[in-house]
Amino acid sequence: MTDADERALVAAAQQDPAKFGELYDQHFGRVYAFVAARVRDRAAAEDITADTFHRALAGLRQYEWRGLPFGAWLVRIAANAIADRARRGSRDVASGDEVPDVGVPPDVDRFDDERARLFQLVDDLPADQRTVILERFAEERSIRDIATRLKKTEGAVKQLQFRALRTLRARMEGADV
Amino acid sequence: MSEHLLIDQLEQALERLLTAGEREHLEALNPALAALLDVARELRHLPRSAFRNRLKADLERSRTTMHVEDHTTTSRPAGFRAVTPYMIVQDAPALIDFVTRTFGGEERHRAIGSAGGLHAEVRIGNSMVMIGGGAPDLQWRGTSMPTALHVYVEDVDAAFRRALSAGATPIYKPMDHDYGERSGGVRDPGGNHWYIATATGPHHVPAGLHTVNICLHPVRGEAVIAFLERAFGARTLEKVASSEGAIQHAKVAIEDSVLEIGDAHGPFQPMPTMFYVFVADVDAAYERALAAGATTISAPADQPYGNRTAGVQDAFGNQWYVAAPVRRN
Repeated sequence: MTDADERALVAAAQQDPAKFGELYDQHFGRVYAFVAARVRDRAAAEDITADTFHRALAGLRQYEWRGLPFGAWLVRIAANAIADRARRGSRDVASGDEVPDVGVPPDVDRFDDERARLFQLVDDLPADQRTVILERFAEERSIRDIATRLKKTEGAVKQLQFRALRTLRARMEGADV
Repeated sequence: MSEHLLIDQLEQALERLLTAGEREHLEALNPALAALLDVARELRHLPRSAFRNRLKADLERSRTTMHVEDHTTTSRPAGFRAVTPYMIVQDAPALIDFVTRTFGGEERHRAIGSAGGLHAEVRIGNSMVMIGGGAPDLQWRGTSMPTALHVYVEDVDAAFRRALSAGATPIYKPMDHDYGERSGGVRDPGGNHWYIATATGPHHVPAGLHTVNICLHPVRGEAVIAFLERAFGARTLEKVASSEGAIQHAKVAIEDSVLEIGDAHGPFQPMPTMFYVFVADVDAAYERALAAGATTISAPADQPYGNRTAGVQDAFGNQWYVAAPVRRN
């Protein structure tokens, strides 16, 4: 999606929040990747990601482009949400509840972008490989459990997992496989 | 090296990585495997599809609410969901101590409320609870209003032991249940029920629920659900009823909060509960609750701490305080 396309989509969502779903689909992976790398566990990552998108939806009309891409604005909200959570023992809810104004986005290192790209590449895997990767890493299931659920042998699941990882690695390096 | 051998070595390394987070030192042995493990390390952060879909649905519902309510939006302090349980006890500091010791709760706020009692907000996992009432050094003399909560922890047996050593009495010992969790129940010294559980699935908190979930055991759950639908636009996510119509288990959502409801039986008797509910429009929410059969406790009014609030009591004895930040215009 080009900058112009995204600006048009944001403007449309500001007029009609029903369009927010498209922005969510576009940016979910990047926001989640940013948050997951900075919090302790999956529950916290999910909680903060949810908080980020709810805040973004509530504050959508306050967003102005002014050189800060929409994705960077979302990451900035996520960074604030992480900071709020880290603030123990105090209740600085007033600042925490506000959608941040346009400004310098927080550090997004190349690993965040690569991780978001990796998540996207998982979606592009052949269906059986994608299922195994999601079951193993997102659902945190054992090879045995996955084999039972998919009605396959453990050996077949391990092989699908191996091939998926090999494909992902190659595609991360730019190979057309 | 044969592919078969590579696959087995990879799986052994992955198992260690996923169970203990241990960095595997295969690099020296085989760079190809090390490269795959690098990918696997990043995949540990892969989001759950169910979460991604549920959040999208939640946002869609929030968006719908925004539209219906004339583009006003629900505004709430960071970390809060729509509905927060509010436990009123005679010794609030003791309950805060219990929650801290048993569940690793983090006290976020403590103040003296308008009625002279203590008001505190405590974070447990990804959820907030409010605790209020008396304290040894306060004059407050009010009525306790204990609550039943379903709390997910990483290790139910350990949390159960911590609860007992923090002064709770057992309701039922931890046991495996066929509905996908191991759980045990305790009653804290203030009278609150805590159903402590660890889900048997991939995460100790099951998809769709939070660390802390409110439980209601009314005499007739169906009537409570009907009230919640009319007053707060609640949605029934799940309902299992007996052939006689008794609710065995139901999950009802108010925006992003889930209430679990089961008709009273055995030790699970009605415990009228106090709730703090963040809404988009306090006055409109108050009117809807009255129209749904609630009676007034307090009409909408701006509070000195920055919220506009109103209170109602439903026909089952539950008290609902609806709140939103005071509008500045």
